[in-house]
Amino acid sequence: MKKYTLITLLIVLMLALVACGGGETAEPAESSSTESDSAAQGAEEQETEEQEIGDEMITLKMTAWDIATTPYWQAVVDAYEAQNPNVHVELVEISSQEYQDKVNIMLSGGDDTDIITVKDIPGYSAMLTRGQIVPLNSYIEADSLDLSVYSGAAEELTFEGSIYALPFRSDIWVLYYNKDLFDAAGVAYPTNDITWDQLDALAREMTSGSGNEKVYGTHFHTWRSTVELGTVQDGANTVIATDYSFMKPMYDMVTAMQDDGIIMDFGSLKAGQIHYSSVFKNSQIATLPMGSWFIGSLIAAKDDGEFDFDWGVVKYPHPEGVEAGTTAGTLTSLAINENSQNKEAAWDFIKFYSGVEGAKALAATGNLPAIRTPEVLEVFANLEGMPEGIDEALQTTAVRLELPMHPQVGAVEQILNEEHELIMTNSVSVDEGIASMSSRVSEALNQ
Amino acid sequence: MEAVPLNLPQEKVYSARRRTIRENLVAYSFILPNLIGFAIFTLIPMGFSLVLAFLHWDGANVISWAGLDNFKRLWTDDTFRIALTNTFYYVAGTVPLTMAASLGLALLLNQPLKGRNFFRTTFFFPYVASLVAVAVVWNMLFHPAVGPVNQLLMSLGVENPPRWSASVDWAMPTVIMASIWKGMGYYMIIYLAALQGIPVSLYEAAEIDGASAWQRFRYVTLPMLTPATFFVSIMLTIASFKVFDLILVMTGGGPGRATNVLVIHTYNTAFREFRFGYSSAIAMVLFVIVLVITIVQFRMERRWVTYM
Repeated sequence: MKKYTLITLLIVLMLALVACGGGETAEPAESSSTESDSAAQGAEEQETEEQEIGDEMITLKMTAWDIATTPYWQAVVDAYEAQNPNVHVELVEISSQEYQDKVNIMLSGGDDTDIITVKDIPGYSAMLTRGQIVPLNSYIEADSLDLSVYSGAAEELTFEGSIYALPFRSDIWVLYYNKDLFDAAGVAYPTNDITWDQLDALAREMTSGSGNEKVYGTHFHTWRSTVELGTVQDGANTVIATDYSFMKPMYDMVTAMQDDGIIMDFGSLKAGQIHYSSVFKNSQIATLPMGSWFIGSLIAAKDDGEFDFDWGVVKYPHPEGVEAGTTAGTLTSLAINENSQNKEAAWDFIKFYSGVEGAKALAATGNLPAIRTPEVLEVFANLEGMPEGIDEALQTTAVRLELPMHPQVGAVEQILNEEHELIMTNSVSVDEGIASMSSRVSEALNQ
Repeated sequence: MEAVPLNLPQEKVYSARRRTIRENLVAYSFILPNLIGFAIFTLIPMGFSLVLAFLHWDGANVISWAGLDNFKRLWTDDTFRIALTNTFYYVAGTVPLTMAASLGLALLLNQPLKGRNFFRTTFFFPYVASLVAVAVVWNMLFHPAVGPVNQLLMSLGVENPPRWSASVDWAMPTVIMASIWKGMGYYMIIYLAALQGIPVSLYEAAEIDGASAWQRFRYVTLPMLTPATFFVSIMLTIASFKVFDLILVMTGGGPGRATNVLVIHTYNTAFREFRFGYSSAIAMVLFVIVLVITIVQFRMERRWVTYM
């Protein structure tokens, strides 16, 4: 029995082990697939890019999530492979929810997947401060790439003078609405100049029915960002702060809506793991503030006959006194793994993926590329099923990053998530929650 | 060795020793495959984790010496304090209730009931079922608005039924209930085996002495079950201190930090905040707690466990 006890005790510490195993094998795996190895040796011997992409077959591996339901991964890869027949790009599926955790563990373990897709800023900052992804400046200079086409996104990815990833997709927050519900209620559609207070009033007007027939005026998904983005739109604050009192008006508004039954209850959404797409598609909500990534899947879902109402998109609501078109955004970008054996080939692929041609392939699948030249946006707006006025709704005056670059951003986000849950489940008052955010984040930043 | 003459004492001693060595080697060679795996995947990393608790490491950059910094930090980390309290709350709720439930089930299903094999299988089933599926189904059952449990409570006239996993006060009891339901089948099997090992003659003797049903249970069954109870209590205590997956899927440690337990905190500090040193220190605290409690349980053993 003692042995059992011991063994079980040891298992307790398995978590710590994963990390340790990683430390011991941090060198690039030498025994990986022969195909990429021989290609790698070829790459090291030959200096220039032209030579490097020679006759030899190169296999590049790239991390991605939700491959089956996200059409663009393969679409852009296909476009690249058509031009570069000697390169094969293999997508490595990682579950979307644990994406960053898993990539961190992979990289700590010396994994040599060539291209790492950067899903969010905390992940980016974690990987670059730990030297797991390589600076791209020398490649950019060698190819004299113009970063201004990303309209500011490249600057947001620059840390201490170096950029470690190129953006290919850039999403902004917009407001979706169900036209049929508005028509039935005889209420005018939201405009491109809607403020948060107006959304509050509109949502109260649009709420009707009860039980299973109930229509909620708007919807705040369980993410912290759905409430907190509205508080940083004016650009005066970021979500990394030592005093969060600037979040009070927004939390007051959202909790009041929840208490009055204007939005679905946070606890129910969380416990039922209810996705915002299902409630929107079921016509249970009249409006939905959400990211532009939802456009592509809405078009596809309507195409498949999942719903048949008309929907529209307007600009993200803004606080009083802030210009319309001010929104928050996320960047999805590509980086090269420090352990990659094919850095040159990986760079060539990244250049394509985040360049104009990649952008067109991406736009053709209903997703917003980071490059928004008129020709790229035209591909996007002319897609079948795209609602009218989408081009106007997607014009922005200022885009705030959902999360700024900061070495402690992971710890801060954890705290904000916890306090957000407490406020939204009415476990603490808005004031208590915000006070706790301020004190806990201040403490974490001092560590 | 067969050729060793019996009349040479020195040779005899020598050969006896050689035989022992040989036998030991054979035994070791049987243990070896398992031992290698155990060493590579458990023992060495565990030693590394122990060392890591005295270092600063973010998983990629240079490792630096921390001394007792990581342990000092435990005193000021209120998430650690909360996680520690929650862990004890979970253990205190899960261990006795699971033992009671599994003993009760075992006693019931030891009776000559009709269809008792069917019921035994039914109660054992949750133990085999995928944990993620169990967690999701429990969340659905206990959904605050549309879940069957609250629908039932409301139809029975309860005006404000608990909000279960969406409420700070009820999240932990909800998790505890789910884990009891999932674990009781396994421990029921252990109790059943023990019950069937009790000689019928003891009950017959007790009956002849005029013992009532309760007395037979109290003075025959219970004492005869103590070795099983001892085993169950140790396994269950250790398993409960290690709880991680069920909580991660059901509540993610929330709402807020209401169900944040030590292993969740270890995971978060390691893989969300990249403080492997501090994370190892938390793991070490858990290790020591489990070790101490297990030693205490073994010490108490002779006071209450009856072996035949």
